[in-house]
Amino acid sequence: MIEVEALVKDYGGLRAVDRLSFEVAEGEIVGFLGPNGAGKTTTIRVLTGYHAATSGRAVVAGHDVFTDSLASRRLLSYLPENVPLYPDLRVEEYLRFRAALKGVPRRERRAAVALAMEQAGVVEVRRKLCNQVSRGYRQRVGLADALVSAPPILILDEPTSGLDPIQRGRIRTLVRSLAGRHTVLFSSHILSDVEEVCDRIVLIHEGVKRADGTLAELATQLGRREVRVEVAADGDRVRALFDGLDGLGAPELDAERGGFVLARGPLAPGVEAGPVLDALAARLRGGDLAFRQVHLHEPSLEEMFASLTSGARVEEDAA
Amino acid sequence: MSGGRMLVLVRKELWSYLVNPVSYVILFLLNLYRGADVYNLVLGFRDGGDADLFAIGYLNVSSTLTAVVLLPPLLTMKAFAEEKRTGTFELLVTAPIQDHEIVLGKWLASWLFYGLLWLPSMLVLVVLQAPWFLGVGLPFGPLFTAYLGLFLLGSLLLAVGLFFSSLTDNQLLASLASILFGVGIFAFAPLLQRGVVDVDSDFLSVLADQLLVRNHLRLWFFRGLIDTGHLVFYVSTTALLLFLTVRSVEARKWR
Repeated sequence: MIEVEALVKDYGGLRAVDRLSFEVAEGEIVGFLGPNGAGKTTTIRVLTGYHAATSGRAVVAGHDVFTDSLASRRLLSYLPENVPLYPDLRVEEYLRFRAALKGVPRRERRAAVALAMEQAGVVEVRRKLCNQVSRGYRQRVGLADALVSAPPILILDEPTSGLDPIQRGRIRTLVRSLAGRHTVLFSSHILSDVEEVCDRIVLIHEGVKRADGTLAELATQLGRREVRVEVAADGDRVRALFDGLDGLGAPELDAERGGFVLARGPLAPGVEAGPVLDALAARLRGGDLAFRQVHLHEPSLEEMFASLTSGARVEEDAA
Repeated sequence: MSGGRMLVLVRKELWSYLVNPVSYVILFLLNLYRGADVYNLVLGFRDGGDADLFAIGYLNVSSTLTAVVLLPPLLTMKAFAEEKRTGTFELLVTAPIQDHEIVLGKWLASWLFYGLLWLPSMLVLVVLQAPWFLGVGLPFGPLFTAYLGLFLLGSLLLAVGLFFSSLTDNQLLASLASILFGVGIFAFAPLLQRGVVDVDSDFLSVLADQLLVRNHLRLWFFRGLIDTGHLVFYVSTTALLLFLTVRSVEARKWR
């Protein structure tokens, strides 16, 4: 539904997006992840026809966003980051205006607005002026606006930023419930939101794509899984424990903690962890060693995020 | 279908004018100052004036000429500047509506509201002709052409205001620029004309005459005269300014 091909956007001399390519399939919820200033909003603005790309191509639902912008905009709804609303309209009036602008036929408008208000949970503030609703409601009014024309594609730019945990939870649940019926590009720098909501992640940093895949794929690709053992033994005995197990590298040892040493051995990508852990446990029992933990540590999204936004780019784009 | 979306925008913009308290302040002040001028006209008429002169003078008063220059900037300063400041501009231009429909929609709404502001002065005309007031029939021709001139100049200045509003996110700056423009073509064009009298250039004097909007009003429209040259001037310059505004709205793409 969304195809981005070698997209470049320059602002003056600054390259905000650099040869970015990714796709979002129908019904998929893709997390568009990156630190602030990574080029997420710029990419989204090209997709929504706000900016023109410097070079490259973007296609939304089969329509080129530059040459056939109006057709592509008919099929997508966009929620900008700070959720701008007209201050002098009431919530319901605002949603009616937006529904009409987006081409919802007159006789369906009332029902469409009611449904969107219901979905986004803003029914109780429908008579309030847009500038009088709280931040959380404001965000949800924006979501109701995005939903009111029931568009096949939704582009949400930081829909959970600035909200408290409960409000964020509600929005995550709402977005999650759209899977299958809508294609969603969910931009965020809040990792837990992306982790919970998205099927797949596209991560960019400084305008360049750094990763693209499901969380599990990313974890395997990045190969930062490690086996951790905390054991009462000296360094040589601990190293001997790790020695000769397939796929397990030499451990790093952390300083002694009350007679115990924490050893962290990297597990090669693609190697199944179970047999390795079993073998380690057997060795610990065989050596009659006291231990506190034996387990597989998988990288959290935070760790991947940190390593990707400081490390080198994923090489698939380089060709 | 696309025209339908423009009308959706016109309706929303008109609504925004109607719920904005500033609109009513403008309406009140305009009619207060006009009231003072009309009062003097009525006094003059009772001293033995005639209906034709009254009709010619009805809009040819300083309050009206000031309002013609001041109203369009006040009505249009927010049009794009405020949308850019609050960010709704991004929502508007990414909705399935084309840039020229946005510009035309906003212009049409401002023009309709501008017309609405002059409505009381037209109603006053009806009252003035009542038997218990002046009790005379005022000639329709000069009053019609006077309002025509007012609306034509209004459409140009509203387009100018929209253009300046589209250049900035600061509505004060937008209004100042368009007031300066209005005052410029109103007050400084006579200076230009005086300057070119000596130069003896047909081209320059024709140009000065075309730019002398005050003379268009005072010597032509307010006296019941219509020059097609003037009509062409207002329609084409309005179209030009609207075109420039569309380009300015589109310019966001190339930033």
